[in-house]
Amino acid sequence: MSDRNNKIPFDEDNYTHNINRNNERMLDRRGFMKTLAGAAGVFAVSTLPWGAVAAKELMGLGNKEYPNEKIADVKDVKVGDSVKFTFPTEHDSAILIRLSENKYVAYQNACTHLRCPVYWVKDEKEMICPCHHGKFDASTGAPTAGPPRRPLPGIEVEVKDGAIYAVRVKRYEA
Amino acid sequence: MKRSYVGVLILAAILLMNIVFTQLVVHQYYYENYGVTLLYAGLNILLFPVALFVYKNEKNKGGSKGYEK
Ligand code: FES
Repeated sequence: MSDRNNKIPFDEDNYTHNINRNNERMLDRRGFMKTLAGAAGVFAVSTLPWGAVAAKELMGLGNKEYPNEKIADVKDVKVGDSVKFTFPTEHDSAILIRLSENKYVAYQNACTHLRCPVYWVKDEKEMICPCHHGKFDASTGAPTAGPPRRPLPGIEVEVKDGAIYAVRVKRYEA
Repeated sequence: MKRSYVGVLILAAILLMNIVFTQLVVHQYYYENYGVTLLYAGLNILLFPVALFVYKNEKNKGGSKGYEK
């Protein structure tokens, strides 16, 4: 099917059809279908780890409990201020905001778009992600502007004896 | 001599579903709906044998010299 363009037009000295390309750039219908099938294979393999982690998570179902962690003393956090901490492990950065006298909220502050750290802008009363200007509502964690679509995971906090503790990571309501 | 594009179209549709399912897997994982994650991951994996099947069946159909088969 490929020699259609390789015919020497007439029998004289051949100056024009002397490059032999060996069809190296050919992509025919069959080759294209082969590529598509191969791509399906790549997709299949690449979803395996997600499935595996999800299965693992399903086995050890339920709320995982972590030891409560002290974030700060109440007297060090003024109303409208925020404190950075990490919870539940040292690799999960999080942020605590004191919204009013008795209202504390805390979120894991890896942006739900591409995981940049979200920070609290006191003057605008909003959590802002510097990377692509995602914004989150401080009292619920819900995204209000920009690329993020998923709320920030909330962290339950508790005030005991003048100190603020992180208790657990809230699960999303299904 | 007529070309058959059915296989190409089906495979392209499969690839589209692959992309959609992959996106759903990632999102549902972060939403902590692990059951749904598994479901979509399973569908994504199932699409591969289907794609192979379609390819095997369609690779010799049509083409510019279909009469040569
Ligand atoms: S990473 Fe936060 S908006 Fe893109």
